[in-house]
Amino acid sequence: MIQEYQPVIRELEGLAHDRGLAFDPVVFQITDSDEIAQVASMGLPNRFIHWYWGGTYKELVLQQTKEVFSILELVLNTNPSHAFLRSTNTYLQNVLVIAHVFGHADFFANNHWYRKSNKNMLNLAEQHARLIRCYEAQYGRDRVEKLLDALLTVATSVNAFERSPQEQRKRLIYYLEERAPLEEFERVLLEAIREEAEYFDIIQRTHIINEGWATFVEAELLNRLLSAKEWASISTQLCNRPAPYTIGYTLFAHVRDQDGFRRALELRQFYEDVSLIDTALTEELVRRLDIFVYDAKEKQKSYDLQKVKEMLIAQKLFKGEPRIEVDPASQGRDLLLAHLDEDRKLEPKRLGLFLRSVYSLWRNPVKLRANGKVYTYDRRGLSST
Amino acid sequence: MKIHRGRIAQHKHDQHLREYLKQNLNELIQQKELIIDGKVKTQIATLDLPTLKFAEEAQYLAQGAGSAGSGTGAGAGGGAGDDRVQALGGLLGGDHHGKELRVELDFDEFVKLAQEVLLDELQLPTFHEPARQGEVESQDIPELDDLDRIGIRADLNLEETMIQSLFRNARERGTLDYDVDIQQDAWYFVEDPTTFQNNRSVEVYVLDVSGSMRGEYLSLVRKTIFILWHYLERRYPTNLRRYVVFQDVAEEKTRDEFFCVESSGGTHISTGFEKAIELLEGAREYDKFLFMFTDGETSSGDFDLAKKRFEEARGAFDLVIYCHVNPGGRGIGGFSEYVQETAKAQEGAAFANLMDLETIRGAMKDFLAFFDAQSKRRVSETVRR
Repeated sequence: MIQEYQPVIRELEGLAHDRGLAFDPVVFQITDSDEIAQVASMGLPNRFIHWYWGGTYKELVLQQTKEVFSILELVLNTNPSHAFLRSTNTYLQNVLVIAHVFGHADFFANNHWYRKSNKNMLNLAEQHARLIRCYEAQYGRDRVEKLLDALLTVATSVNAFERSPQEQRKRLIYYLEERAPLEEFERVLLEAIREEAEYFDIIQRTHIINEGWATFVEAELLNRLLSAKEWASISTQLCNRPAPYTIGYTLFAHVRDQDGFRRALELRQFYEDVSLIDTALTEELVRRLDIFVYDAKEKQKSYDLQKVKEMLIAQKLFKGEPRIEVDPASQGRDLLLAHLDEDRKLEPKRLGLFLRSVYSLWRNPVKLRANGKVYTYDRRGLSST
Repeated sequence: MKIHRGRIAQHKHDQHLREYLKQNLNELIQQKELIIDGKVKTQIATLDLPTLKFAEEAQYLAQGAGSAGSGTGAGAGGGAGDDRVQALGGLLGGDHHGKELRVELDFDEFVKLAQEVLLDELQLPTFHEPARQGEVESQDIPELDDLDRIGIRADLNLEETMIQSLFRNARERGTLDYDVDIQQDAWYFVEDPTTFQNNRSVEVYVLDVSGSMRGEYLSLVRKTIFILWHYLERRYPTNLRRYVVFQDVAEEKTRDEFFCVESSGGTHISTGFEKAIELLEGAREYDKFLFMFTDGETSSGDFDLAKKRFEEARGAFDLVIYCHVNPGGRGIGGFSEYVQETAKAQEGAAFANLMDLETIRGAMKDFLAFFDAQSKRRVSETVRR
């Protein structure tokens, strides 16, 4: 079936190169919605099986039946890149998708932050999955699953952009990797989960710029490939996409209009979400994109550029998660964590569960300063002062 | 063979979900509005890893819902007057402010789960096979009086098959031949009389929604209904369920409405019986059941009429099961006492004083005893014939 698309793939690839794009080979394959939901929920097609992906998979399968929210394609940041096109897509949809995929492939190959990412992730993920199966046989499924739950919980603290070892050590997962009294197999799993989390962290921190660039490239290529009538119908679809796509696309289109295509190429090479927003978002674009800070109590919207920017950047810097750091006062067996935005309250129900996960890895009392209290989790459970 | 990782992960996820729901079943079952849009909405957030999240915040980043389409149109957007607001956190790969996702279950799925938990708690037998299976094997089955019935298709209705063959030959060949083509004509079967009379039911559920219809009261009613369904569904592969609620007046409700009722008004039990009898009009099913759930005394002046209607219901239904919902365990008086005495002395009625799980268990035993007695009666009736 993919043969049908080979001529258009070649044509779009040629157009992309003409526009100055460069990327690793892309292997296209046509697959069904179910497989797309499967890969999307796990992040990689051969990743280890965990219940948490199961919930996402279930939701995605449902979504795939609804045309508006369905996923049309998936592309993996590997070398070669693997792109999955949905078999139920129309020919024109797949042409759009192919152009979009070339945008992603170009971003993966050229963006500065992706240089650190592991392009051999498919093999590594397979290796991890096999390792986990072996450990399950050796140590029991329950024990391994509980360990994976705890590791995936602390894995959100990775930062693939952080280069300074000192700064990195402030992040929980790296601290645990260095100092937690883990058994050998537990340590091996911690490293595996951390490696995978770093791979996905880069993708998460470049979500807007990556999707924006891919949509921008898609528009650039299709504008040249399609007839005026076809293009007119497609261009309205381009704007009818989820927020990261439209925000990123609008920023790139604005940069191109203001400073030319070369400047857009530069942004895709050196920037990530935070720097792109900081550089390219303007008051006019905030209005055009209809993004605002919403006060739920007062039911009021603020389009103030500074406020919107700050909030967007804060979301992207910490992936929307609370900033938890290992306090320098942590010594020996004492692990003290601190929530850095003390003004913002954390959901109390989750605190105990989170600390229990950390405790299962640290095996000694864990403290967390948050919500104006110090929470302690030890062998007696949760307490606060 | 390809391993379907998505489905395995989903299975694991669902196992966790079931455990979680089992622990919270009692709370869930008491929700005033149990079914909304065909789903049981729970208070359980989507099964998640216990990562830390911010508590609900006054201000968050949002986008005008429906503004996505206005992304590139010059001067489009604005939307300051638009009240639709979509939180952006989750969409940008950040946190989910605003409405938190809740676990939703199909009602049937929820009922199945509830039955599993309840049967286990009550230590009642779980039927995995239709109950009537044993009856077919009984030595008491009389000789079948149809035409020759041997071979693989012993239950083939030869008469109907030959008539159909005659019609087909007339239609296709223009000749009145009994030339049977098995593929085309042999689609008619004689139902085994012992199962035929026994595989359909009409069940009318009548619920008193006056006064204190909440909490433990609702819980007892729903638990009883779910367990009843477990047995009834296995006994009657085809069943027709009708739902009635009453206070001063009675009205028929849909299933979803029946499980989302508001309490108000006085108690006129007679109206409940009357409506239930009315719903039987035209019902040709063999077994007709009326399940009445009430917690109180019928209003003054209704006693005699209620008695009359109760007697009429006993005549119209094969069995009237009167459940006195009595979570406080108070004494039984008035109309409930009358029904209790009648049920003891005469056939066609059963009385249950639903106070707790143990009394539900007792009620089920009585109910199952009815089936036993009924089966014996039928077999002996058939033999006599």
